[in-house]
This record gives sequence, C-alpha cells and structure tokens, in this order.
Amino acid sequence: MSFKSIKMGVAAVAMSAVLSGAAIAAEKIEFIFPAGVQGKISREMQRLVKEYNASQDEVEVVATFAGSYDATKIKAQAAAEAGKPAAVALMSANYISELAMTDMIVPMSELMEPAGIDADAFIGEFWPAVQTNAIYDGKLFAVPFQNSTPILYYNKDHFDAAGITTPPATWAEWIDVAQKLTKPDGERWGLMMASDYGYIGWLTQALTMSNGGKFFNTSYPGEVYFNQPSTIGALKFWRDMVHEYKAMPAGVTPNKQVSTAFFAQKTSMMVLSTGALSFVRDNANFNYGVAFIPRNVANGVPIGGASLISFKGTTPEQKKAAWSFISWLSSPEIIGHWSRFTGYFAPRKTAYDLPEMKTFIKDHPNALLAVEQLEYAGPWFATYNTVAARKAIDDQMQALLSDPALIPEMAAENAQKTANEILKPFNDKMAGTVIK
Amino acid sequence: MKTSAPLSFRKITRALILAILGGLVLVWASPFLWMAVASFRPGGFGGLNMASLMPDFEPTMENFDYALEDGDFPLWYMNSIILVSGTLVVQLVTISLAGYAFARLQFRGKEFFFYMFLLQLMLVPPILIVPNLTTLVQLGMYDTLVGVMAPYWGSAFGTFMMRQVFRTIPKDFEEAAIIDGCSWWQVLWHVLLPLAKPGLIAFSIVSVVYHWNEFLWPLMVISDPSKQVLTVGLVSFALGAEGASDWGLIAAGTLLVAAPLFIVFVMFQRQFVNSFMFSGVK
Amino acid sequence: MADAQNILAKSRKLPVNQLTLQAPSRRRGRAGIWLPYLLLLPSLVFLTLFTYWPFLQAIISSLSTRRRVHDVGEFAGLENYRRIFSDTEFTTAALNNVLYAIGTTGPSIALALVLALSLRNSSRLNSLLRSVFFFPTLIPLVAASAVFIFVFMPDIGLLDYYLAKLGVSSRNWLGNPNTALASLIVLTIWKNAGYYMLFFLAGLQGISQDAEEAAIIEGANRWQVLRYVTLPLLGPTIAFVVVIALIASITQVDHVIVMTQGGPNNSTSLLLQYIFRQAHENYDLGKATAATVVTLAVLLCISVLSMRTMERNVHYEN
Repeated sequence: MSFKSIKMGVAAVAMSAVLSGAAIAAEKIEFIFPAGVQGKISREMQRLVKEYNASQDEVEVVATFAGSYDATKIKAQAAAEAGKPAAVALMSANYISELAMTDMIVPMSELMEPAGIDADAFIGEFWPAVQTNAIYDGKLFAVPFQNSTPILYYNKDHFDAAGITTPPATWAEWIDVAQKLTKPDGERWGLMMASDYGYIGWLTQALTMSNGGKFFNTSYPGEVYFNQPSTIGALKFWRDMVHEYKAMPAGVTPNKQVSTAFFAQKTSMMVLSTGALSFVRDNANFNYGVAFIPRNVANGVPIGGASLISFKGTTPEQKKAAWSFISWLSSPEIIGHWSRFTGYFAPRKTAYDLPEMKTFIKDHPNALLAVEQLEYAGPWFATYNTVAARKAIDDQMQALLSDPALIPEMAAENAQKTANEILKPFNDKMAGTVIK
Repeated sequence: MKTSAPLSFRKITRALILAILGGLVLVWASPFLWMAVASFRPGGFGGLNMASLMPDFEPTMENFDYALEDGDFPLWYMNSIILVSGTLVVQLVTISLAGYAFARLQFRGKEFFFYMFLLQLMLVPPILIVPNLTTLVQLGMYDTLVGVMAPYWGSAFGTFMMRQVFRTIPKDFEEAAIIDGCSWWQVLWHVLLPLAKPGLIAFSIVSVVYHWNEFLWPLMVISDPSKQVLTVGLVSFALGAEGASDWGLIAAGTLLVAAPLFIVFVMFQRQFVNSFMFSGVK
Repeated sequence: MADAQNILAKSRKLPVNQLTLQAPSRRRGRAGIWLPYLLLLPSLVFLTLFTYWPFLQAIISSLSTRRRVHDVGEFAGLENYRRIFSDTEFTTAALNNVLYAIGTTGPSIALALVLALSLRNSSRLNSLLRSVFFFPTLIPLVAASAVFIFVFMPDIGLLDYYLAKLGVSSRNWLGNPNTALASLIVLTIWKNAGYYMLFFLAGLQGISQDAEEAAIIEGANRWQVLRYVTLPLLGPTIAFVVVIALIASITQVDHVIVMTQGGPNNSTSLLLQYIFRQAHENYDLGKATAATVVTLAVLLCISVLSMRTMERNVHYEN
C-alpha cells in the first residue's frame, strides 16, 4: 500500500462522509517521546507529527515531549498507572523487555492483526541486531525506530599533525595513538568516553563485547556476566587508560562534557553514540572522522536507541489509530528521513534501498559506518529490573575511573554480587515455575 | 579623645569587608554574566574560550531567534502566568481564613491541626507522584493546569506566614471594630487584611517564584503541548538526551524564562523588601 | 499603644483600666463554635486530597509487599523498613543528605546573615547588590543546574577557566566522588543565600533601633551590639529560616537529577532521589514508601523542634 493510495483512500472516505452529512471524529491518541540529542531533533519530531496529522483525517496525534529517556519512562508509566495509558510512546530499547515482563505494554500483534499485518514478517524487514531487544517471550513488543551504536570520533587535524594516518583498529593501537595524542598537564587528552549513568554501562558493554565477551545472557533476563574474565578485561582496559596510560581524564565525564571537550579540541578522540553524528557534523569546525570501536578479540558493540511501543489499557479504536501512526513513522521513507536528519541509523533495512538514502550515504560516508558496524552489533543490556542491575556495574566502573587503588577484579565481583541480589526475585520465581 | 589606632583598625576591617563583599558579588554574578555573553555567541561552541566573560566574537541574536521561533515561548509564558495566578488567588483565600483561625481563635484540637498543616510543608507533590496523579485522574483534572495548581491550594507555608502576621497586629483595632458591631469576616476583611497586606505580598512573591520555576510536577501532570509551562518547555527545547548541548541556546532560553521575574523584581525591589519586613516575620 | 488605649477608652467613656481584653471564648461565642473549623475547611479539603490521603496510601504501601501500584500485596509488617536500613544505597543517601543539609544550611544562613547585615541600609548601591544576590532564586533549579554543568566542566568550564588564571589546576568537580557533593552544595548556596538574605533583611528592619542605640550608648562596641542585641532579637527569624533551609535540603533534588543522577558511584545520591529511583526505576514501591515515611518522620521532628524554639522566643508588640 503506497502512501499516495492511503491518502487518496482517506480523502475519498472523508468526502463521502461529508457528502452524506456525517462527520468523522478523528481518533485522538497521545504520543510520548523523549528529548532528542539536541533541541532541533525534538522540534523535528513535532514537525513530523504535524505532517502526519495534516495528511489524514482519522487520527490526531498529540505529541508530548517528556525529557530524557528515563523521564519518558517514568512519565509514560505514571500516566499508565493513573489510568491514562499513552497509545504510542518512544521508549529506550533496553526497557522493552522489562515493560513486557511487567505487563505494561501490549504485543505489537494486537495492533497489527486488525490491519492484516503479520508481526514476524514485519520485523524481518529490520536488521537482526535490533530485533532481539524488541522481542520478549517470542513475541514482538516494539517497532525499532531510531538506533545507534557507539563509535569512535576522532580529530583528523590532530591525527595529521601527529603523523597518524589511520584510526586505531585494535586495543593496542588505541593505547598507542591515545598516548601519542595526549599533551602533558591536561592540555589535551587523547581520548574521552562518556561515563555518566547509563552511558557508562553501554560503553562497558561495548568494551566487553570487543573483548570477546557477552556481558549478559541475551536469552534469559536473569543472568549477567559481570565477573567473567572478558568483562574484567574491559574494566581493566578503561581503567588503565585513565590511571596507567594517562590518556584519559580521571573521574566521571558525562556525555555533554565529552562532546563539549571534543568541539573545543581538548580531546583528540571521543567515544559517543552515532546518534550524535549530525550534531557533530553541525558543530565541529575541524576535520573529523569516525571509526569502529577498536577490537581486542573481535569487533562487537551493543545497539542503543529507541523503539515505538503501545501501553496496555487503550481501546481498540486507539490501538487502530496507534498502528496507523506507528506504521507511518516506521515506513522506509520516514524512518530513512529521520536517520538522515539525526545521525541514528535506520533500523529498517529497506530504508537503505531508497534512492534518497543511497545518495545521502554517497555524500556522507560517515553515516554508513554505523550501518557497517551493525554486522558486529548485539542486543543492548536488558534484564529483569534492568536499570538497577545495570547500575551495579555503572557504579563500579565509575569508582574505577576515580580511584586508582580499586582493583578491577574486586569491582567486578562487587558488581556481580549486587546484580545477583537484584535479579534474585526473578530467578527465584523461575526456579519455582512449573515447566510447561 | 580617641587615638588613631582604633580608627585605622576600623578602616581596615571595613576595607576587608568591602573586599570580601566585592569578591562575593563577582562570584555570585559570574554565572549570569556568562549567560549574558554566551547567549549572544554564535555557533553554540566557542572553543577553548567559551567560558570567557569578555566577548571575543560578533554578537548575534540567533540563539534568541531559535528560541523564540522554534520554541513556543508566548504560549509557555501564558500558561505559566495562568498557573501562578490561578494558584495564588485560591491560596490567598485559604491562607487568610486558616491563618486567622490559628491566630485569633481558640478551639479544640488547635494544636493537632497545626501539626497536620505542618505535614504539608514537607510532602511536596513529587514525592507522592503516583497517588496524586491517580487522584487527579479521578477528579478529572489530569493533564490540566488546574491539576497542577490544586495540590498547592492548601498552603501550610502561607497559613503559618499569615498566622504570624496576624499575631503581630495589635488586637485593639479588632476590639474597636467588634465593639462597633462587626462580625468576624468584616473584621477580617476591613481591619486585618489591609494591615496584613505586606505579609500577603511577601507570600505572593514566594508563591509566584516557586510555581514559575517548578519543573517536576508540571512535567508529570501535563501532556498536552498547548498547556505546557515555561520550565518544561525550556527543557524540551534546550536540553538534549544523548550526547550534546548547545550552551548558547541553554543560556538564551534560561534568560528568556527568568526575564519577567528579573524585571519585576528590579522594578519593585523596595516593595519586595518592605513587604518581607512588615510581614512580621521576625 | 498606650495612646490608642486612651483614645479608645475616652471614646467609650470607660475608665482606662476597664478596657481589658475579654476572654476570647465569650467574645467568640457569638460567631459560633463551628467557625474555626469552617475557616480551616477549605485548606483542609486540599490538604486531605493531596497530602494526607496520598500519604496514607504511602504508609499502607510501606507495610505491604506490593512492588507496583496495582499489585495486590500481602501485609509485610516492618519488612520494608528492615530492607531499606540494610540497603547500602539508602544509608549512603541518608548520610549524604545529612552532609548536604549541614553543608547547605550552615553556610547559606551564615552568608545570608552577613549579607543582610552589610546591606542593611537602603542605598542605591545596596539595592543593586541585593538584587545580584537575589537573582539566582529567580531562575528555575533545572536551568541553574544546566548552566552549572558548564560552570563545573573541567578545563573549559567557568570555574576552572578562571581558577587556571590563578594557577589552580583543573579538577573534574562533578565527576570525582570526592568533590561532586561539594559542588552541588555550592550550587545550592548560590541559589538560596539571597532568598534567606531577604528574610534577614526584613528581620533586621523589624528590630527596634532603640535597643541597639541603647547598647551603643552604654559603651558596647559594634561586635558586642551584634552579639548581645541584634542576633538574639533576630533569633526567631533565624529559627524560621533554618527550618525552611533544612526542608529545602531534603525536598529539592532537581539538580541531582539533572547533573549527576546520584553519581559518581552514589556520592551525590540524596533521600528524595533514592525514593524516586526506587519507585520509578526499580519498581520497588515498598522500599520507596518506607523511605518516604522515614524521611518524613525526620523532617517532622526537625520542624517541630524548630517551631517550638521559635514560638518560645517570639515577642509580640501588644
């Protein structure tokens, strides 16, 4: 069904309704979404919603901004618990399984079936790497909308000045390059990585995967691998960059600080989400490049980003309206446009077949890199009580960055212990269930 | 006759105090000075000198333009004004009545009620978000500005303030009025409230500033963009979630939010301070 | 006051000593014994709906095993309380809050006092200076937090940039567990000191000049006047402001949420932020509500003690 034919179909229905004297009331639904990387992204989302509303008469979407990913989750849940569930929300991809587990969102099939779409066939059009986080208990619960992976941004001018021709591909090279680019007394750092809550867990996962490890059990949300050798290696690597090789500043460096430092040329390399790509493009007044996250054993990164979900408790009419909006937003045209605008990669494979996308990639090879890294991408950390479980390692990694006396093995053990306690209620329940 | 030694000691201490004061003023004002400079800086990032308070660039209005064009400041201003005035009007009524009761009347359970009121000072709505949101839904006030105002319509702070104010007014005026045959509400309206005006003004200032700058509760209650208030609007517009921030925009946006309050304060500074002074808060 | 009484007495043709205040109950008898309760009613309606009722729900939740609002839990007695007291994150948050409360209340009030005393006289310059100190109160805490993220940024932030000119090396203020809480304290003092200054200015203006002048005539020097006359008379105001400041130190957490989310490594986590996290991220309603009740109990004690002290020292001008 092409967009044009939908529009014409709706116009025809509207016309006939008017002619017959009956009025169609547009179904009003609420769409809660988080703040984009920068203000201009939120504004673009508002514009898209306006465009959608103007394009048809059946559904009126009220777009509600909610703040950060966490605030969006809180607001959407509070609304649902107060009896006003949002029909559509854009939710951080790692919360999907938790929301599904606690029965707060509906399986996508409930929205798709009335429209005759098969959920499995639908999700098949999306990159494999983003599928895992959208599926729980074998059912599709979300439609991925904007996705990212961590990438390495580097200052080409600095590289040239230091005689470095290619970005580092292995950890050994990474250490070497970072040290070479670091100037003494904090005048310039070789590398900075975002280390605020959430980000730090994401990047620790990236390093663990680059070290050949798994970080958590992707098929069972009650098991994490914080004290495995591969994770310990990742913790040690990051910690050493700060205290051993002295190529990174000590302490926690939140993402805003890292990007600000990069633009001020205070750091030659930074690890940040591909979602920041268009922001970097707009603001870097020097030559920059992007590269894969260097590997130690094998290339591996977690995906990040957000997906569209629908909260439980809405009426069938609202569900129908929700699907109409979701399918529009996630159509190859719109999802491709969003990717070009923001720097996130389009989770829908077919978006890359469109001519606009092909031209864009040709003109902006950096944007292609995130897609290329997808070959090595895996699901984002998502467990029972995922925020608390992830915080166990977040806290330890933050401690490692500030305290040179802390040993990575100890930190890993602490994290595992805390996480196990948090996961205990889930595991106890599983241990006591009747095997079907 | 005093010798010169104590005099110069006094001079030194005074000079010292002035120096410290001057230093404090500079420190206090520096974030604002920076905001003023940064909001006119083009391009969001100024490189290594972005903290400089000396403008070293061509000033531009582009940050303010972005803010005013793309943000919905007129709408947000209006909603914030509705919010603070709607809250204040009802508060003035409830606190005057309750303050009068506590200040002038004796009744059973007075102390009990006093401590019950005290509870409210501490139970700010964000602490109990979910139950309060549920209550709002049940009353049909979810996603309305009224819903944002309602939890504040009973105000322990205001009640205590008015109680304080009333207690410092000499009883003679009321006695005279009562002898003349006035009922309690005539006494309240014609005698006490006019005398308590400074206290009412002081409370109004506290209330307006608080609700103008409130963020968490309006964020939770309001979803409809047409009812959004300044603070939430500012955050939606200037703060990013995943990795970057446009400092020029943040500075410009903050100044736009605070400007009305600044202007009002500067114009009415003397009344502000006077009202606090006469409110009997001592 | 004596004049007023004389005038009143003369107008009523009563001897002065007979014009005494009559017992309230007799006088108020006409207005009805329901009057006080009716006057309190409007306030109580809102307080009940939005304070007592939700709080009751919180207490009940704290005694049950419910994790989400719509769960049907079972009675758990004091289990949740036991859990929070054995949760290091709670005890850390509580300890941080104590440090934070002392760190903000003490210096803010001291500074506010100094400023009020220095800027006591109404001159053009003083008005300007007072404005400078009061301005931070006028911007939203979320906005101030965003600006201060920049202020505290290492190397290029406002603080480090100017400290560097004095030769002080840069620090990661918000990113180091040892300095993060102190940085938040600095932000809070910056924001609130001017507000408290206003209360003290008012209090100072209300102190009768006679008392101070009398002391000076009797040979007291500036410091002695301050210590023995001014400050004691300012006592009730100070007590009032202390209560406000302590309550604010527990109920304002916008900056923690915006700037550090409780990190690094829980060094800036505060009670309200802990409660928030338990309720909305960990879905642990039991812990969240138990912590709320505990926090509230502490606040209540503080307020009661301070109010009692204040009541005792108030002098009225009747």
